[in-house]
Amino acid sequence: MRKRKLTPLLLLLPFLAVMALLLVSVGNILAQSLGYIPAFGLTEPTLDYYGALFREETFLDSLWVSLRIALLSAVFATVLGVAVCAALVQTGRTRGGMLYLIRVPILIPHAVAAVFVIQIASQTGLLARLACALGLLSDPAEFPQLLYTPGYGGAILAYLWKEIPFVAYFVLAFMAGISKTLGEAAENLGASPLRSFFQITLPLSLPAIARAFFIIFLFAFGGYELPLLLGPTLPKALPVEAYQLYTSPDLLQRPSAMAMNGIILLFSAGMALLYGLVLNRLCRRLGVAA
Amino acid sequence: MKRHPIFNLILAAAGLCILLPMALLLVWSAAARWPWPDLLPEEYSLRTVRELLFGTASLPALVGSSTLLALVVAVLGTAVGLLTARATELYDIPGKSLVRFGTFLPLLVPGTVFAMGIQITLIRLGLADTAAGVVLVHTIVAMPYCITILTDVTRAVGVKYEEQAAVLGAGPVRAFFQASLPALLPGVLSSMSMGFILSSSQYFTTLMVGGGRVRTLALVLVPYIQSGDRSLSAIYSVAFAGSALAVFFVLEGLLHLLQKRRVIL
Repeated sequence: MRKRKLTPLLLLLPFLAVMALLLVSVGNILAQSLGYIPAFGLTEPTLDYYGALFREETFLDSLWVSLRIALLSAVFATVLGVAVCAALVQTGRTRGGMLYLIRVPILIPHAVAAVFVIQIASQTGLLARLACALGLLSDPAEFPQLLYTPGYGGAILAYLWKEIPFVAYFVLAFMAGISKTLGEAAENLGASPLRSFFQITLPLSLPAIARAFFIIFLFAFGGYELPLLLGPTLPKALPVEAYQLYTSPDLLQRPSAMAMNGIILLFSAGMALLYGLVLNRLCRRLGVAA
Repeated sequence: MKRHPIFNLILAAAGLCILLPMALLLVWSAAARWPWPDLLPEEYSLRTVRELLFGTASLPALVGSSTLLALVVAVLGTAVGLLTARATELYDIPGKSLVRFGTFLPLLVPGTVFAMGIQITLIRLGLADTAAGVVLVHTIVAMPYCITILTDVTRAVGVKYEEQAAVLGAGPVRAFFQASLPALLPGVLSSMSMGFILSSSQYFTTLMVGGGRVRTLALVLVPYIQSGDRSLSAIYSVAFAGSALAVFFVLEGLLHLLQKRRVIL
């Protein structure tokens, strides 16, 4: 470890500039959400805009919709992604062709994933046509409506298509390392492959799995284009609602839009805190470094 | 190692779920008429290809500017990542955990929120509605991923090669470029492809910061999806996903080539 003072500081300059911009952005959001926008003649800081939001039905619906999308996407992507990851590890396919295939959805843009969902899961999509060919239904309207509904099934499906492979790839190196050392040691001592996976490999991989869950939750919570493209007119996802208010010709709506952004930040920060606490306890119980 | 067949079943299902939509995309992009409930289109046409190549969007220019923008972001994000990783991994600095927390800050501030918060500042700096502003914002979005990847490789490589080179008389710059960089290259290339992917798939930040003046494939595709034209959204998706995959496989191929020629370890 070198001990010079100036060099690391110079190396960190671009990073610090990025941090400065992030903090400026967060500062702008907080100031404007408190109703401090001198350019619009607003100079009295107040919490009224936050208070008003929580009395508004549309806002509460949006908050709920966004939390629901984030939670369902993260839970299902994590469970199924870990299953795919375990399959890769157990069949010894930790490099090569299958891995390239798994990485493809990570590379495909979200908007394209939205097109996939429309083509497959809409009421005139491939699944509905297959069901019709099998004689299960005759009219498109009989196929369950997943897209453009308040349940945001379409957006969740699109997130899953992209994030299940993400979880599998993200956890793979970690899980493969543990399986190869401790997992196989347990098997040599007589544990069945199933027991060695559930009692050794899976618990020890939990820190990586928790990180993947956290990343997906935050991403889906703040996501814009999938709820925009695959969701109903109402209730809108929180970022979509915030942007619509932000672009409103009525400039006095600006503080409310920024208060919505402030709430997105608050929930993200709360989630990060929760993640930190859970990870700490987890690592202490497993006896591994965070 | 013979394992339970369920694992192969899981992988087969995953493979099908990944490949089927992409195959369907190609069929849709060539479909002229595809009425319910047919399983295949009734008629095919090249209308979409004509629209793609000679239509309002002028594809070559669009693909060119999209790719260039994303490549600049990839290079910048990787450069910032490399510098930051060196500072935290090779030097004994105070506040290391603070830097680590800062690395993940862009994940906590979603792109939508960040773009709305920074717009007023970008206007003051004269960066609103410019490609430079878009590059700046995309780089910040990509930063956590680039730094994480490069921190791992920097920690693994350490200073051993540079010290050897210094003993043999190389200056610090030469020691880095000729001794450490080749060993870091796998990480550098994967950081670049991550930066490229993140930039090229941005829709909201490009729309907002670029003000519609910086046009990328994402910006052209989204309105087609909203208008419900399945054939046109399919062909633009092919171009969009195709260019992202192409750049990824070029970078990946480069890595294999270098490894084969034993330029890097």
